[in-house]
Amino acid sequence: MFLLLPFDSLVVNLLGISITVLFTLLLVFIIVPAIFGVSFGIRKVYMKTLLKIFQWATLRIERGAKEKNHPLYKPYVNGIIAKEPMSLEEEIKEIRRSGSGKALDTPEFELSDIFYFCRKGIETIMDDEVTKRFSAEELESWNLLSRTNYNFQYISLRLTVLWGLGMLIRYCFLLPLRIALAFTGISLLVTGTTVVGYLPNGRCKEFLSKHVHLMCYRICVRALTAIITYHDRENRPRNGGICVANHTSPIDVIILASDGYYAMVGQIHGGLMGVIQRAMVKACPHVWFERSEVKDRHLVAKRLTEHVQDKSKLPILIFPEGTCINNTSVMMFKKGSFEIGATVYPVAIKYDPQFGDAFWNSSKYGMVTYLLRMMTSWAIVCSVWYLPPMTRQPEEDAVQFANRVKSAIARQGGLVDLLWDGGLKREKVKDTFKEEQQKLYSKMIVGNHEDRSRS
Amino acid sequence: LPCAQGAHPHHLSLFSPLAVTSEQIEHLHRRFKQLSRDQLTIRKENFDSIPDLEFNPIRGKIVHAFFDKRNLRQESDGLADEINFEDFLTIMSYFRPIEMNMDEEQLDHFRKKKLKFLFHMYDSDHDGKITLQEYRNVVEELLSGNPHLEKESARSIADGAMMEAASICVGQMGPDQVYEGITFEDFLKMWQGIDIETKMHVRFLNMETIAHCY
Repeated sequence: MFLLLPFDSLVVNLLGISITVLFTLLLVFIIVPAIFGVSFGIRKVYMKTLLKIFQWATLRIERGAKEKNHPLYKPYVNGIIAKEPMSLEEEIKEIRRSGSGKALDTPEFELSDIFYFCRKGIETIMDDEVTKRFSAEELESWNLLSRTNYNFQYISLRLTVLWGLGMLIRYCFLLPLRIALAFTGISLLVTGTTVVGYLPNGRCKEFLSKHVHLMCYRICVRALTAIITYHDRENRPRNGGICVANHTSPIDVIILASDGYYAMVGQIHGGLMGVIQRAMVKACPHVWFERSEVKDRHLVAKRLTEHVQDKSKLPILIFPEGTCINNTSVMMFKKGSFEIGATVYPVAIKYDPQFGDAFWNSSKYGMVTYLLRMMTSWAIVCSVWYLPPMTRQPEEDAVQFANRVKSAIARQGGLVDLLWDGGLKREKVKDTFKEEQQKLYSKMIVGNHEDRSRS
Repeated sequence: LPCAQGAHPHHLSLFSPLAVTSEQIEHLHRRFKQLSRDQLTIRKENFDSIPDLEFNPIRGKIVHAFFDKRNLRQESDGLADEINFEDFLTIMSYFRPIEMNMDEEQLDHFRKKKLKFLFHMYDSDHDGKITLQEYRNVVEELLSGNPHLEKESARSIADGAMMEAASICVGQMGPDQVYEGITFEDFLKMWQGIDIETKMHVRFLNMETIAHCY
C-alpha cells in the first residue's frame, strides 16, 4: 500500500514538471522573441532537416517503384493534352486547302469549319486551363503528408515507420503547441488593442498600437511555423499608399502584417473574426464595411479615397484577385482599388508547397478544417517580395494599370500571368468574353463575303 | 486509387494499347470525377462548370453530342439523360489519333466513324439527312455573337453553301427538283480529300513516368 502513494504523486509531479518546462520553452523561445521581433533561427534549421528527410523519402519511393517495375504516378501541372499552336485562321485555312482544292481567295462557309470548334471544345472538356488553377498545385516529391501522396503502394516499412512518427509529432506535439500559441496570440491582440483603445489619440497611442499589432501577428506567424523570407524590404509600403498582393490563403494577411503596420480593409464578420475586427479598430483606423455596404462600389471607393488622401493614415492592404488562387498563377485583378489614384505598392507572395500546401480551396474546405490542416502541416514556407511603387500613368485606364501591376507581381513571384477572372471559381463567364471568339470567326467569313458581293 | 472503380480492363478494347495507355484512362477518369463532382454519371448541367467551353460557339452541339445515343451505341437513337464513364470514353474515342500500323480498311473505318460523329452534329432531328434548315442552324450558331451580323446575312451564307453542297452531290438540278438534304453518303463525298483522320484528334502529352531526383 505504501508503494501506491509515492507513485501517484510521482505521476502528478512529472506532469507538472513537463507542463512547466513546456511553457517555459514556449515563453523563452517563441513568445519573447516574437515580442521583440528577434529570431533564434530555430525554424530555419528545422526546415533544412525536413528537406533532407523528404529527399530521402522520395528516393525510397522511387526505388520501390523501380523494383516492382511500375511507373510512378506523376501529376502534370501543364495539362495532359498537346494543344495545337496554330491560330483559328491558320487551322481553318489548312483544312480547306487540303479539301476541295478551291482557290484560297474565295472563302465562304465550308462544311469543314465546324471541325475546328468541335475539336477545341473536346480539348477543353478533357483538360481545362482555368479549373486546373483552382485545385492545389500537385507536388513532385513526397513530403510525408499522406494527403499529398498518390504512390502509396511503394512505401517500404522504414518509410511507413517514419511517416507514422511524423504523424505522431505533427498531431501530438506540434498541433497542441500551435493551438496554444494561436490562442495566446489572438487573446493578446484582442485585449491589447482594447486597452490601447482607451488611451487618448496621439503619438503614444500610435506607438503602442503598432507594437501590439506587430507582436501579436508575430506570435501567430510562429503558431503556424511560418518561415518567411522577405526580399527588398526598402520598398515596403508607406503611409498614404495601397499595398496590393496576390492571394492564396487567409494567412497572407498574417504574413504581411507581421512585417509592417497596415490598415486592413474588409467586411465585418460575425463570431470570433468579428470580435477581433471590432477590437482592432479601437486602436487603429482599419476600414471595415458592413455587409450591405460592400455591394455599393461608390461608397467603398469613397471611403478608401478618403483614407489614402490623409497622409498620416496607414497604407491599406488589399487583395485584388478577390478570391484564393492556388499559387501557380495570378488571375485578373479587380479594377476598384486601382481607380483611387494612390501610389500602389505591389507585393508578391510565393509559397513553397513542399512543406505544407497553403492554398485554401473554399469550395472544398471550411475555415476551421483549413486552419487545422495548416496547423498539422510541417511548416509554411514562403517568400515575400516588395516591389517598387507604381503609379497610374496619364494614358492608361484603371484596367490597364491593374494588368501592369499584375504582370509585375506574376513575374517576380514566378507565377503564370493569366487573363482569367478569379471570380470564375464561383460564377459563370461574362458574356463579353464569349463574344470575342465568335466575332473573330464571323469576321473571317462575313468580311470576305462582303468583299465578294461588292465585287 | 482513382482507377479502381471506373476503368475496367475492357475499356482498353475501345483503344488499342498503343493509342491510349491505362495511365491516360486514369487521367480521363479523374477528369470525369471532377466534372461529375464524384457522382457516377454526368448530366448536361455538369458541362457548365467548364469556363473555357463558354468561348465555343457550338458549345450546345458539342455537349449534345455526348448525350446523343447515336454516338454512344451503334443502331440506337434518341437522347440519354445522363452518361457514365464508359460513355464518356466512347465519345473520347472518336478523337483518338491514328496509329502507324493501321491498314487501309482500318483507316477507312476510322475515318467513317469520325465523319459520322460530325454528321450527327449537323443532323439535329436524327432523320439521317442534313436539311437546309439544319444547315442554317449550324451556320447561325457559328456566326452568332457578332452584333454586326444580321440574321439575313447568316442565312444567305448558309443557303449559298447548301447550294454548293447540292451541286457536288446531285450535280445540276432542274428548276422543279427539290434537294431534300445531305445524306451521309453525300456528306462523305464532300469530305473527300480532307484528311480528317489526321486532324480530328486530341493528343496526350508524352508523359515520362519516373519521378525526378532532387
